[in-house]
Amino acid sequence: MNYDYLKNKRILFVDDEEGLRQMVCSILKKEGYRQVESAGTMAQALELCASWKPEFAILDVMLPDGDGFTLFEQIKSFLDIPALFLTARGEEDDRIRGFGLGADDYVVKPFLPKELLFRIQAILRRTYKEEAPLLELAFSRVDFERAEVIRGGEHLALTAKEYAILQALGRNLGRIVTIDSLCEAAWGDNPYGYENTLMAHIRRIREKIEENPSKPVSLITVKGLGYKLIAKSR
Amino acid sequence: MKSIMKLIKRFVITLIFSLAALLILNIILLFTVVQPDTESSGGWKAAARVAECLSQQPDGGYELTEEGKIMLEQRGCWAVLIQDGTGDVIWHSENLPEEIQLHYSAAEISWYTRGYVADYPTTTAAKGEDLVMIGNSKESYWKDMYPAFSLNMVKNLPRTILLFLGANLAGVFLIYMVVTSGILRSVKPIVQGIQALPEGEDVYVKEKGLLSELASALNLVSEKLRYQEYELKKKDQARANWISGVSHDIRTPLSMVMGYAADIEEDAEAVEEIRQKAGIIRIQSIRMKNLVNDLNLASKLEYNMQPVKMERVNLTALLRETAVYFMNLDMDGKYPVELSSDIGGISGNSVQGDKELLKRAVSNLLLNAQIHNPAGCHIRAGLSEHSGKLCVTIEDDGIGVTEEQLRKLKETPHYMLNSGTDSNQRHGLGLLIVQQIITAHGGRVEFGHGMEKGFRVDMFLNKPEESIKIVEKEA
Repeated sequence: MNYDYLKNKRILFVDDEEGLRQMVCSILKKEGYRQVESAGTMAQALELCASWKPEFAILDVMLPDGDGFTLFEQIKSFLDIPALFLTARGEEDDRIRGFGLGADDYVVKPFLPKELLFRIQAILRRTYKEEAPLLELAFSRVDFERAEVIRGGEHLALTAKEYAILQALGRNLGRIVTIDSLCEAAWGDNPYGYENTLMAHIRRIREKIEENPSKPVSLITVKGLGYKLIAKSR
Repeated sequence: MKSIMKLIKRFVITLIFSLAALLILNIILLFTVVQPDTESSGGWKAAARVAECLSQQPDGGYELTEEGKIMLEQRGCWAVLIQDGTGDVIWHSENLPEEIQLHYSAAEISWYTRGYVADYPTTTAAKGEDLVMIGNSKESYWKDMYPAFSLNMVKNLPRTILLFLGANLAGVFLIYMVVTSGILRSVKPIVQGIQALPEGEDVYVKEKGLLSELASALNLVSEKLRYQEYELKKKDQARANWISGVSHDIRTPLSMVMGYAADIEEDAEAVEEIRQKAGIIRIQSIRMKNLVNDLNLASKLEYNMQPVKMERVNLTALLRETAVYFMNLDMDGKYPVELSSDIGGISGNSVQGDKELLKRAVSNLLLNAQIHNPAGCHIRAGLSEHSGKLCVTIEDDGIGVTEEQLRKLKETPHYMLNSGTDSNQRHGLGLLIVQQIITAHGGRVEFGHGMEKGFRVDMFLNKPEESIKIVEKEA
């Protein structure tokens, strides 16, 4: 899958530490993000938002002239963009949830660049998914917009449950997703008790996306823990 | 209340003893002070003696012996002999006063012998048919003129005495109760106050009455205790805040160390050796990050500033989530985690607990395995049941611990809990957190040997009261 289109998105990074700003900008640029700007204060950030109109904001929670949450509220009043919070403590959980963001949308300092990049990509993909082309697997492609699998010219429709499961796996490409997360994605609240049913659905998905469902290369089982979706390697 | 009963008991015993002592004292006084004076029978004996010492002479007169005369003189009294029938005085002592008559009618004899003759108290004795009457000195006796007592009264005397005694005792007791109840009223609140002090309750006693000084002293103590407790809490909180602040300040610089180290590590154009060194820096900075996190949490838990949110937690899901998170970060696959569960069904693996804290505990153990086994190892995460408790086990087949190290782990306290000054006690902060978290859930932690001589940690948790049975559903 080609996520290059995301690398063009304008990203704003706000943190009061000069050194950290330099580092994050260099990480992003190295990863291929072509348009990255940074600000050290709330005032600077708001100015940049008005003039440059970023499409994604990474905000440190503690700023010299305010806090990241207030800043985000102000940005939201004229720019409808997603944000990722950089916190020094994990308890910001509740406040972040209060902003209508999921628990995923924050990174605790100190962080590994990989972590940050993964989160950024996940949020960007989620927000700008209409522009997303097909998910390329080893032997098939998945069209999330049409909810179908394209294999050798054939268009195979995905059921609602299969779609939900594939989507959850697709959001975490290359990473293990727990059985419980998949159950929750497919069956919502109180997902416990669906493990066997999940296995059945996985089997059916494999029949659609794999060349040999009994020897899967795209949808891998990690015994006792969950499943992993692997994209086509380039 | 108990102490007040003790007071009353003690008083009653003291009362009885003092009464007994008083009794004995009075008896002694009776014999030493009063006795010598009671010679009530003396006058009568003297009269009898005179009668004996009187002898009739051949001429019809009477003669008193020398002994008799001396006795009369000593006693300072006179004597007469009254003839029976005539009532005439047929003999009298030489010192007979003039006013004493020499003839007595029967009526006079009766009256005088009962009491006095011319203010001289009389005592009598018989001499044959005749009567010897002695006039004792006016200072010697007081005579009761009507010496007869109701027989009933005398017969009932013992009972009467007891009645008097009982009434007196009751009266004394009543007076005592009235007097001391006043004291008790002042004492009771103070006693209650003192009893309440160790319970940590607020104590205030009205400062009036007999024991107002005691009351005010008590109030002072209570206030002091409260103040000390408040100060202690403040100090603990300040300490936790300070640690929180320091750990907060470390994070940004650590982010930069971690970030650039990872950057260099992944730089394909850099020299292999440099990349390796950068890798080490990255791993160590991750270790520092965990130390900082653990330090923060440990201090919060220690000073009871960490709120523990209890909810129903599915342990299997929690183990999976934590293991997967761990494995997703393990790029090289050096630490594969295997999950095993001995608990059948879906209902048996839940506990009441704080999800985030429990996740933290499991994460710490997984990280521990990683840190202690740089060459990699197999990790097993297991869920089982042991004598009514749920047991979460994390074990590895790595380097493990020696018996000595195991013993040290169990016995040596971590430096945060250590009140001694020996700085050689630094020890497993990560393991300490695990213990603190599990203890906060009312469970316990055990260390031991894992598979193939590795390390093993068992966390025992209580099962929730009710268990909801969830039945397998079809989609």
